[in-house]
Amino acid sequence: MINFLSANILDSLVDFVGQMGFTVGDWGNYVMIAVSFLLMYLAIVKKYEPMLMLTIAFGMLLTNLPGANMFHSELFAGGHVHWDIFVNNAGLLDYLYLGVKLGIYPCLIFLGVGAMTDFGPLIANPKSFLLGAAAQVGIFLTFIGASALGFTEAQSASIGIIGGADGPTAIYLTSKLAPELLGPIAVAAYSYMALVPVIQPPIMRLLTTDSERKIRMTQLRPVSKKEKIIFPIIITVIVTLLLPSAAPLIGCLMFGNLMKECGVVERLSKTVQNELMNIVVIFLGITVGATATAEAFINWQTLGILVMGIVAFACGSAGGVLLAKLMNLFIKDPAKKINPLIGSAGVSAVPMAARVSQDEGRKYDPSNFLLMHAMGPNVAGVVGSAVAAGILLAFFG
Amino acid sequence: MMFLAVDWPSILSFALVGFLLVVVMLVLLVFIMKAMGAAFVSHKKAQPVEKHELREEEIAAIATALKLYKSSRHDKESEVITIHQIKRAYSPWNSKIHGLTQMPDYRK
Repeated sequence: MINFLSANILDSLVDFVGQMGFTVGDWGNYVMIAVSFLLMYLAIVKKYEPMLMLTIAFGMLLTNLPGANMFHSELFAGGHVHWDIFVNNAGLLDYLYLGVKLGIYPCLIFLGVGAMTDFGPLIANPKSFLLGAAAQVGIFLTFIGASALGFTEAQSASIGIIGGADGPTAIYLTSKLAPELLGPIAVAAYSYMALVPVIQPPIMRLLTTDSERKIRMTQLRPVSKKEKIIFPIIITVIVTLLLPSAAPLIGCLMFGNLMKECGVVERLSKTVQNELMNIVVIFLGITVGATATAEAFINWQTLGILVMGIVAFACGSAGGVLLAKLMNLFIKDPAKKINPLIGSAGVSAVPMAARVSQDEGRKYDPSNFLLMHAMGPNVAGVVGSAVAAGILLAFFG
Repeated sequence: MMFLAVDWPSILSFALVGFLLVVVMLVLLVFIMKAMGAAFVSHKKAQPVEKHELREEEIAAIATALKLYKSSRHDKESEVITIHQIKRAYSPWNSKIHGLTQMPDYRK
């Protein structure tokens, strides 16, 4: 009897030890765990986009802990949700990932972004839309570069959108076009967004002269409340009629902004700016991090994505600066000249890119205030990158 | 080899057409926003104010007139705001005893 019991216990113990993560993991898991630690360090100590970087890093940690079984990439293989096996096999992160897979989280984030954005500088100076458009050149140049590296068209489009410097847009487009690259693309997009103050200034200095950096721009006209209310409605109608595939992003962005500007739904506006936004950031970050499994992350493709991502950022910044210089050639009135430093703010990344323009401008003329002028292209960049995502989705979706 | 395997005409066309579409759409928005701005700004355009320097005597006269006008609209006050005493005249309306629940009498 005692021998029988001890044999049973021994078998159970062997099974128990066999289920331990130490015995089922491979080197790839441990490399990814080390990468997640590095990202946590960057988020906590260096404060690189901590809101998303920390959650992405922790999602990455959870998905790579051997035996945790919280995320199963096979349930989403081939770009589809395999509903037939979903309920029996899904872990917590699989359920949460449905919000990314179905394109819900990025749109909800856009709702909050819209409610936090003041489009006043863009309404006061609509020419800022041109700078926002020029900065999207990085997306399409990177699309060409990624195709040259052997990525498919859909994958190249997803890599190119990193140049839009807009995390939710990048996640939305990638989840539709190339879900297998979601992890590396999200990490690259948010890393480079955090590095905007490092990446942009050398490009801005390289492409501008000393006198151009000192250009003072005339003060923007005041924008009435009525204009601010009509703006999101007009943009939603026009963009959606012209480009229906951009409707989820533009619609949510503008709805959030309308809630803020109309002033009659204060509670809803505050909710989307704070509680809803924070909840979605947690879900989005942790599930996007969960897609960065060892087999999806440790390969040459990830290296290619990281390289092409920085190219996209650099080209986008340069595109905005160069267009501002070009526009100055046609502006005869010296008082209406554009300081080319605000062109780089066209790469979305609100409000970091605008702050970089302001800081660079003040280095050459401490009494020159470019921030409000740079906010125009900056918010135009958000609209521009959403339009670019809609176009790529219409081409390759 | 990978470089040669790419369908360059197709890739370049997609990139060019895609970028041009972004530009065209945002240029369209520029025109729409300019039209909207013009509609709002034209309503608000204030008439230019004719510049006219006032002499010191005129300024003094206007200031005196304003002072007299404002003084005539206001009662004379002691300008002392210190509270010396508070009168708390008894009234059943402010009596605490009527506002609180009475304690039940204890009878032996």
